[in-house]
Amino acid sequence: MVKKVLITVGALLTLFPAMAFAEAPSNAMLNTGLNSLWVMIAAVLVILMQGGFILLESGSTRMKNAGHVAGKTIFTFGLGSLIYWAIGYGFAFGGSGNLFIGLGDFFYNPGIVYGENDGLSPAIFFVFQLAFATISLSIAWGGFAERAKLSSYLIFTLIYVGLIYPIVAHWIWGGGWLAEDGAQDFAGSTVVHLSGAMAALAATILLKPRIGKFNKDGSANQILGHNQVFTALSVLLLWVGWFGFNAGSTIAVGDGLFGFVAFNTQLGAGAGAVAAMLISWIVLGKSDITAMLNGALAGLVAITASCAFVNPWAAVVIGLVAGVLVFFSQRFFEKKKIDDPIFALSVHGAAGVWGTLANGLFATPELVETVGVGRPGLFYGGGWGQLWVQFESVVVCGAFVFIVSFIVLSIVKMVTGFRVSEEQEIIGLDLSEHGAYGYPEQMKKGQQDLNA
Amino acid sequence: MSDPVRVQLLGEIGSAETITALRGLRDQVHNRMEALLPTLSVEQFYDQLNEVHDALIRRVIALAEADMARMGKGSPPVPYAYLLFGSGGRQEQTLSSDQDSGIVYGNPDSEDDKAKVETYFKELASTIVASLQETGYPPCDGNVISSNPQWCMSITDWEKQLDHWFDEADWEFVRYLLIVADGRLVYGDRELARKLKNAFYSDTLAKPLIVRRMLENTMRHKMLLGVFGQLLKEQYGEEAGSIDIKYGAYIPMVNAIRLMAIQAGLRETSTLERISELKNRDMLAAEDASVYAETFRIFLKLRLITIEHTEDGMFTNNGKLAGSRLTKEMKDELKLALKTGQKLQRRVYKQTMGKLG
Repeated sequence: MVKKVLITVGALLTLFPAMAFAEAPSNAMLNTGLNSLWVMIAAVLVILMQGGFILLESGSTRMKNAGHVAGKTIFTFGLGSLIYWAIGYGFAFGGSGNLFIGLGDFFYNPGIVYGENDGLSPAIFFVFQLAFATISLSIAWGGFAERAKLSSYLIFTLIYVGLIYPIVAHWIWGGGWLAEDGAQDFAGSTVVHLSGAMAALAATILLKPRIGKFNKDGSANQILGHNQVFTALSVLLLWVGWFGFNAGSTIAVGDGLFGFVAFNTQLGAGAGAVAAMLISWIVLGKSDITAMLNGALAGLVAITASCAFVNPWAAVVIGLVAGVLVFFSQRFFEKKKIDDPIFALSVHGAAGVWGTLANGLFATPELVETVGVGRPGLFYGGGWGQLWVQFESVVVCGAFVFIVSFIVLSIVKMVTGFRVSEEQEIIGLDLSEHGAYGYPEQMKKGQQDLNA
Repeated sequence: MSDPVRVQLLGEIGSAETITALRGLRDQVHNRMEALLPTLSVEQFYDQLNEVHDALIRRVIALAEADMARMGKGSPPVPYAYLLFGSGGRQEQTLSSDQDSGIVYGNPDSEDDKAKVETYFKELASTIVASLQETGYPPCDGNVISSNPQWCMSITDWEKQLDHWFDEADWEFVRYLLIVADGRLVYGDRELARKLKNAFYSDTLAKPLIVRRMLENTMRHKMLLGVFGQLLKEQYGEEAGSIDIKYGAYIPMVNAIRLMAIQAGLRETSTLERISELKNRDMLAAEDASVYAETFRIFLKLRLITIEHTEDGMFTNNGKLAGSRLTKEMKDELKLALKTGQKLQRRVYKQTMGKLG
């Protein structure tokens, strides 16, 4: 037995001579390593949320557009990554900027290894931020769905990931002027979700509603998505991914705040689903699956800003309000004759606004101190100050993204055209933009039935 | 009753010689009834209208018999009864109701005759259905119609079929049984119609469990009233904002009262008559009966102003009431009526389940 051990140790020492001299790693090294590992996992979870958006968007739209809707997300994720690397990251986090915009670190090169005292691998921080930027982009696509030209996706990816999103991220997270004011947006109810929704709003206004969405008398038709199972599954994917989104935003393992954030996230999402199911049943007489799914997402969106700042009971309240809000918001946009195929405006917009404002009400002194941003909310003796800052960040960021997106897409509309032709829209984007159906058998059969 | 225009109109229907003439008379009826709508009570309106519908249908059947004879197919080989189901059976037809119908005929004397008799009634039924279509009555979507062999057979076959439906009692058969409960003779042999109803009620007595199945089938349509007492309106489509009076008020009430009537073995088919007979037999308190009758009149009235349109020359109606046509008072009245309807549904549910233990 002893002999065996000696032989094994001897063999190992021959193979890995360094083992004999290895010192215990320093606390700083362990800290940086653990943080990096956690944030890398979180980044992968957030990237997986793209899968959620693929299913959400394609499940909520019609079969004839499924391949296009699903496929373009992969394409814009790829393109967005290159743009974020080349310029977006520099504008958001570049070290030599000002309060309005970051500068530096274009064509970012983070270095091969991280330093012992980095706290977090810069390369991993970049991947994590990149995942956020492209999620925000995928939210914006909600306003484009089922009628925008493929070329407009390409152009808007360049501008949104290259400029619009990074500027908002800089303001709140990159040491910009809202960060100076103490705006609290832990994981991006405003930066990621509201921004995406405002871009979607600009797009859907410029594109106008899908053919057949509204009748001449102003009443709306229901254009049902082709696969509710996809939609439900997408919500689960997003929900799971959200643990990376929110809990990963601690970008540190250290004090264990990430666990508390995950805990609040779960409560907010659950409350959103329950509230939306109940309110749809109360108002419509039947509980609506789509409303319930949107409620879960709205709960997640709302708790995103506040997950590190509020007590568990408040997380439940924030989720409940979000679930009710998203239901009425959907109806509001429909009344205003704004076509919102994926409900991006309500889920990410309305709930994003609410989640950000909720900090101004519920942020507790203890958690504000732990996170180190801003002041406590109205209900915790912080007065109106924080609520005002939250309000300011919602209005300014929302308006900024909407106006710039509107200008950019108006130019697209004038120069290259934004919407496909009526004929292309009717035959479906799978065929008109890509020449092949996402569901060839079913769609061919439909075609034959039409011709028969 | 001695309205000369009405008497004359009925007379003209009774002596019309062609379907075209009947169609022309039906259009006159429509104009007249629409003009009368504000002056008559709901019951008077429905009574007069259904009297005319019955007259039109009877005349169509008589003309079809004559047609058959003219084509050398003879006169009916055995007596028969032409039955109306659905709103026709309940004498609750509106200006636009479809055909729900069936035929019961006497038993043929021999096997040889059987085939001939079957053929005769098959052809007669097709002629009647086609003529009624020309007169503006669309055929029943659910294929409950005399030209469907399942709804056109001899009394013995009908009795067998009813037994089968009672025995199997699957969802579809229970629906048929509920349809038969509303059956009413419109033309032909009274005795045959009576025999069919006798068979129905002796089976019901023999199989009390069937009522529970009927309950499941019949409570499917809910009163369109939300948890907070708000009206549940259509959300989407051209009819967004409208209220489905037919399936969200009228039909649930018809169903609830019908179930009480079946349990009591009543032969009445109209909902108001069923209510009054339930009261006569002390199965409903006088006060409840008058509240239910009043509630039902409100539904009948609103049903008259639902959205109508003409399709291929036939009168159809989607049973939905445009929200814009409801005043504040009408809305309040409707909400109250729906609440009463909900209570009635609960009562019938408890009563039926309680009875069966």
